[in-house]
Amino acid sequence: MNKIKENKDRKIKVLVSKVGLDGHDRGAKVICSLLKEAGMEVIYLGMYQMPKDVIDAAIDEDVDVIGPSFLSGEHLVYTPIIVEEMKKAGLDDVLLVVGGVIPVEDISTLKKMGVDEVFTAGSLTAPIIQYIKENIRR
Amino acid sequence: MKVTEKAEAAVQEKTVDWDKYLAAYYEKPKSSLTWSGLEVKEVYTPADLPPEKYRDMGDPGQYPYTRGIHRNMFRGRYWTRREVIGMGSPKDTHDRSKLLVDEGGSGLNTIADIPYEMGLDADHPWAQNEVGLTGVCITNMYDMETLTADIPLDKVSWSLITASTASVVTMAQYAAVAKKRGYDLKKLRGTVQNDPVHFRYCGFRPACPLDLSVKLGADVMEYCTKEMPLWYYTTVNLYDLREQGVTAPQEVAFGFLIARLYIDELIRRGYKVDDFAQRFAFYVSCHIDIFEEVSKIRAARRIWAKLMKEHYGAQKASSQQFRFAVHTAGCSLVPQQPLNNIVRIAYQALAAVLGGVQSLHCTSYDEPVCLPTENGHTQALRTQQILAYETGVTNVADPLGGSYYIENLTNQLEEEIYKVMAEVEKVGGMYEAIRTEWLDRVFENEALARQKEIDERDKILVGVNMFVTEQETETPLGVQRISKESVRQQIEMVKKLKKERNSTVWKEKILALKAAAERRENVIPYMIEATEVGATTGEMMGAVRLAFGYPYDPIEIIEAPF
Repeated sequence: MNKIKENKDRKIKVLVSKVGLDGHDRGAKVICSLLKEAGMEVIYLGMYQMPKDVIDAAIDEDVDVIGPSFLSGEHLVYTPIIVEEMKKAGLDDVLLVVGGVIPVEDISTLKKMGVDEVFTAGSLTAPIIQYIKENIRR
Repeated sequence: MKVTEKAEAAVQEKTVDWDKYLAAYYEKPKSSLTWSGLEVKEVYTPADLPPEKYRDMGDPGQYPYTRGIHRNMFRGRYWTRREVIGMGSPKDTHDRSKLLVDEGGSGLNTIADIPYEMGLDADHPWAQNEVGLTGVCITNMYDMETLTADIPLDKVSWSLITASTASVVTMAQYAAVAKKRGYDLKKLRGTVQNDPVHFRYCGFRPACPLDLSVKLGADVMEYCTKEMPLWYYTTVNLYDLREQGVTAPQEVAFGFLIARLYIDELIRRGYKVDDFAQRFAFYVSCHIDIFEEVSKIRAARRIWAKLMKEHYGAQKASSQQFRFAVHTAGCSLVPQQPLNNIVRIAYQALAAVLGGVQSLHCTSYDEPVCLPTENGHTQALRTQQILAYETGVTNVADPLGGSYYIENLTNQLEEEIYKVMAEVEKVGGMYEAIRTEWLDRVFENEALARQKEIDERDKILVGVNMFVTEQETETPLGVQRISKESVRQQIEMVKKLKKERNSTVWKEKILALKAAAERRENVIPYMIEATEVGATTGEMMGAVRLAFGYPYDPIEIIEAPF
């Protein structure tokens, strides 16, 4: 009972990261600022991170949401690895929300892989915040 | 069913909110600011443009070139219809390039992928998942031979979009292949983007240290001035700066100040501005506000001419002329209702042409989705062709010149550009603005402001914050996927080359390159020799990086093999 109350008072904690060699991070940085303004605690891991780096940081920081950002098409390569690493680390209660330049055709593919939600380029901020608030599992 | 009943049935099929309709009928624009937030008047009259002001404009082809650099403009020659191409292996890119030439493209335009821009070989452990995804990876001379195979290099004008410090490698690889095939370098036409300073802002920072960016950028300019005099040795990239979210005046001001870093370096090396400036060129964005974009281009031409003449003492007209290519604004496009992007791109291309563009890349409608499909690419080229051949825009030079509004907006943009330049001066000039990350903060703040404008509907984006529909389930002309097999083969070939080449000669040439870089000589002649004996992109960039005290590998996971 106490634990639930404590969790409700705690800020939602989000980890945003670029993954792989692609460094296009304008969108990732913008979403970090906007989530902070919405009252969340945001850690931006930066560019040139591999899935393992992302998962390690997620564990260290005890985050509620992992948000990898893609542009170059690497989402199909790295997302399954992230999902696998999350499973191995027992992060079942962490939300995985992918963002970036992603063809709509790939959204269902990513969800089948285990992604909770996908927000493509051109997304408004409010639905992203609403989704996170309504769906966090911790 | 009776006729009267049929009418009633139709009525019930769809319900319409008539109050909403009425509101739309009487609706007026919420904002009358330009895209960059400039205030403009309801109407402009002769009082806003006294005749004596015309002296500052000049006719097209006259200093300060506000109205264009040629008197006859497109009557002399259409702009170059040049679509950016880079995908999969060198062979895939070569094939798509020939396809677009066949469809009426008039310039070749190849873009590097992320590993190549970073100066990494295709077989670098971090590159293997990235090769060919956003462009083409040229790791060695044989990749460049494949890219250019059976294309007559003396007949075409080839634009090579390698923007980073790896531009030196690109020039060396192109020159090595051209020499091997017996071409006279002095007669080759084309462009290399070669603006390594700006590229740190596109996610390539570890590959573009500031000192090395200025040095290697200037090496390309110096080499081409001497050995390839018809080659445009840079297109300083204002476009990528704009894509960060900045305004039109910021785009020009920051771009020009970066350009000056290279010019100052060439002057420091002992050149006079008229020795080299005639092959200086720019890459400009055209965003969605047509009049602001045209005015921005006109203001840029005037400022550049004055800067070159008054500040640098350029005497030749060709050193004072602002030459530019346009890339329509990728950041203005959205994946929602994606066919709408065709319309956005057409307006942006119109602005470029009304502004007097020399070379144009129309983005394909699927830019915010994936690399262009064959159909997407061809459609973008068709947008250019409709503009060029159907609309009549080519008849008259600077058709908007003399418009009370356009001339005033041009003056307004000019003032705003100078204001931004003065802000940079206040923080100690461009080198300091970059080094201290002042410019990073500007970009971050502006990008955030742009998103908030959309979130708060201060700016309208159809399909995003107005006239929204259900998310599409498919991209109308399909999605471009990269062939894993052709990329795998390319990576294998690189590995094979490294085993098969003559390692003694290779090592000698790589070490000669490193020594030249340590002596701060121009590295390109040494890179050409190294390329000829099988040295690769990563090895040559690594040698130069080591000479300047940086890790061999920008990702810092592999060691130098020499």
